[in-house]
Amino acid sequence: MLALAPLVFPTYGMTLLTEALILGVFAMSLDLTVGYTRLISFGHAAAYGFGAYACGWLLLHTPLPMVAAIPLAALLAGVVAIGVAWVCTQATGVSFSMLTLAFAQLLYAVAYKWTSVTGGSDGLAGIPRRPGPLGLHVFVSRNGFYYLVLIVLFGAFLFCRALVRSPFGAVLRGIRDNEAKTLALGYNTRGYKIAVVALSYGLGALAGALYAPFAGFANTELLFWLLSGQVLIMVIVGGAGTLIGPILGAVFFLTVEHQLSNYTEAWGLFFGLIFIAFVIFAPEGIWGLIRARFVRRSAVEPEFRRGVARAR
Amino acid sequence: MALLELDELTRRFGGLVAVDHVSMRVEEGEVRAVIGPNGAGKSTLFNLITGVLKPTQGSVRFAGESVTGLPTPRICQRGIARTFQLTALFPQMTARENVRLASQAREAGRWQFWSGAAVFASAGCRADLALERLGLTAIAERPAGLLSHGDQRLLEVAMALAQEPRLLLLDEPTQGLSVEETAQAVETLAGLLAESGMTVLLVEHDMEVVFRLAHRITVLHRGAVIADGPPEAVRQDAEVQKAYLGGFA
Repeated sequence: MLALAPLVFPTYGMTLLTEALILGVFAMSLDLTVGYTRLISFGHAAAYGFGAYACGWLLLHTPLPMVAAIPLAALLAGVVAIGVAWVCTQATGVSFSMLTLAFAQLLYAVAYKWTSVTGGSDGLAGIPRRPGPLGLHVFVSRNGFYYLVLIVLFGAFLFCRALVRSPFGAVLRGIRDNEAKTLALGYNTRGYKIAVVALSYGLGALAGALYAPFAGFANTELLFWLLSGQVLIMVIVGGAGTLIGPILGAVFFLTVEHQLSNYTEAWGLFFGLIFIAFVIFAPEGIWGLIRARFVRRSAVEPEFRRGVARAR
Repeated sequence: MALLELDELTRRFGGLVAVDHVSMRVEEGEVRAVIGPNGAGKSTLFNLITGVLKPTQGSVRFAGESVTGLPTPRICQRGIARTFQLTALFPQMTARENVRLASQAREAGRWQFWSGAAVFASAGCRADLALERLGLTAIAERPAGLLSHGDQRLLEVAMALAQEPRLLLLDEPTQGLSVEETAQAVETLAGLLAESGMTVLLVEHDMEVVFRLAHRITVLHRGAVIADGPPEAVRQDAEVQKAYLGGFA
């Protein structure tokens, strides 16, 4: 259905949808830690910004085509993230969140000061969508780029779904529900946490790496804590721990932002109210509402989960 | 050769000596109970054996090798499974998923992050066996958080069993159960232990449970061993009576 979107939407709508799907990849990557492992990262913008800067730099300073620069930037971020994850998982709970935030702010400061590489406060501008060999120039046009994003989103979704259904994913849910018990069963929970945080950052950077050639620039805003908060909101409003939910959350967020900002500069205020309403009335998020409406079995599940949460 | 050897094991919390130079040998196939009043250091002892706490002094040897100071997962991977005094489960998963996750910890493919059909099949097979041995097959598909307290206690034992441990640590398996539930749980456990010949270290408050299950009893008082021997001898020990058993025997 999404593949037919270019036939229906006007050009501006396509730009908006492309950005929404890029943010969808970004929000889904955060769901791996927030929804499936209950590791609340408050510095996920670090992944997005890093991916965007790395991809932008590669496209500006090397002859690599876009389709090579994007995965390379994500891979680079994933490798760097292993070290970051190693440090952050020393802590748990709020301290973990604060450490992820600290790393994001550190990266923000670096991007701001290291002018020779990052362009400082101007950022990197004029990032080209360099076509590759073998007819890969199809991804260069507006609609072509949309399809590239759609392919990446679909691939990332399949990857994440396989991950959360795998033995590895089962251990993540164990850590989420009862980490001490998971440890006592003989699982090296720290190792699993480092792995999932690094994967999550790598995928988040993949989204950022798409954004750089999409927008044609990368600036420090992509590393700012505001974006970390926004992506967390997308995950929660969409439905944490569902993978699909965060994608819907990202689309919803961008649509509402776009519509509200037509009427008022204080759109953030109204979105805040929407967010509060979701947390109170629909803690399972948009995807939870959809499932409750259309799938009878899952309608019982959230109620049960809340029951268990209360009993605990 | 003893399966578990504790040598002068000591743990201090500030000025408090929670476990005080405890030495103990648990033979292969033995069911050993550790009893003692509240605060005698029984749970701390379990935490020292499984590496949750590091000993201040002394050593733990398992199957002839020192495991002192190793991290918890490494110790458990050598074949130690434990249950907790306060039920520790994954309440949102079904009973079967709980046991399967426990059993998966003994699979080489436990890190596998792509489709793990083979891992799940093998782990699920052992899980079903463990559920059956504890009579939990009928409730296998129910979420663990909604089970009765008695079933939850048994489910935790099933999780430990599914790991096919060489040493099973049971921390007050009948804690919080009614009289009937306790009787039932003890029968299930007794049958299980007799059948499997598993080595067990059992911490328990309920003397009837201890005398029913244990081959040998160690009595802790204020962190130190004050008696050690077969159930009958311990029952008659004057010091034990004074410290703990009261008018029971």
